[in-house]
Amino acid sequence: MPAKSKPKEEIEKVQDNLKDIKSKEGVIGYILRSSNSASIDLKDPTKIIDYAVLSATAFEAGQDISNTLEIGGANTIIVEGKETKVLLMTVGGSRLSVFMEKNLDHNKLCKDLDLT
Amino acid sequence: MSKDTYADALKNTLTEIKKICPDVSSSFIFKMDGVIVAGDSETGEETMEKTVNSFQSIAEKAEAIGGLQALLIDGEKGKVHLSRVNDMYLALAASKNADAIYLQSVTRVIVPTVLKLLESITPTPLQFEPSKQLIVDTLSGFFAGDSVQIDVEILTQWSQLLNRKNVDKVELEAFGGKKAECTVKEINDPKLKGKGIIRIPERISKTLEVKKGELVRVKPTGV
Repeated sequence: MPAKSKPKEEIEKVQDNLKDIKSKEGVIGYILRSSNSASIDLKDPTKIIDYAVLSATAFEAGQDISNTLEIGGANTIIVEGKETKVLLMTVGGSRLSVFMEKNLDHNKLCKDLDLT
Repeated sequence: MSKDTYADALKNTLTEIKKICPDVSSSFIFKMDGVIVAGDSETGEETMEKTVNSFQSIAEKAEAIGGLQALLIDGEKGKVHLSRVNDMYLALAASKNADAIYLQSVTRVIVPTVLKLLESITPTPLQFEPSKQLIVDTLSGFFAGDSVQIDVEILTQWSQLLNRKNVDKVELEAFGGKKAECTVKEINDPKLKGKGIIRIPERISKTLEVKKGELVRVKPTGV
């Protein structure tokens, strides 16, 4: 099994991949948040706060559900709304939330992020 | 069909699903207001209530994406599907290697079909016990009194659901099993409104053996 890349390298790689992904049709934007900084790129900046609050809540509550139902640490969390969904995952200690249209294949997006 | 028969039918359905697919470790159905309708025979009530509580906290923030329709968690040892079925939600936890197609047929076909079938033979709309789980905040001091305080919205909702003019007494139950019955008033501190809190006088919290920050189940008396 190959050794895991260091968190910093992992984040740099994801940041590069995010630049390509955000231009894809159906991707609304992303929030990449570490303990002391955040990169945000959303098509509709008026939704930054709402999306950030949703992301933070989903990370915490998703982990709580994982613990309660004993499925181990959450690798990915998908929050689906009526037309939009969010893919949440932890990358190199940072929390990544990618917002997209509901019909977009989030598994493919994970592959494009090179995280699977 | 009574609500008990309805819940039993759903419970049996979920238990049978679990028997057929041992990869399913837990399954239950709940309403958006937090009321648990039915769960399989092996999933504890506390597990269901904690899950529903976490789910509700996401749902409260999900308006930005048009309301919460489903939540999927891929964990290290398993996965969780929480999906909307009619006006309810089905929660299903399964092992990592569970057959995805089977899970989809359970969430999208079997359970919705059973619900539809049950509703078609139910003459009146179903009414479930309006219990809520709330976070304890203790009231101390000379003016603490003997009444607990909860959000006025919850009291109004109960009054409407139970077709009563008002709800003035509630039953509290701690996860440890201790129960208490007491009068209820609306929360008078505006900073604490709408936060899913119940303010309990210290004396009652000692009876229930609960501390600040813990959860208790609350329901109007006589239901």
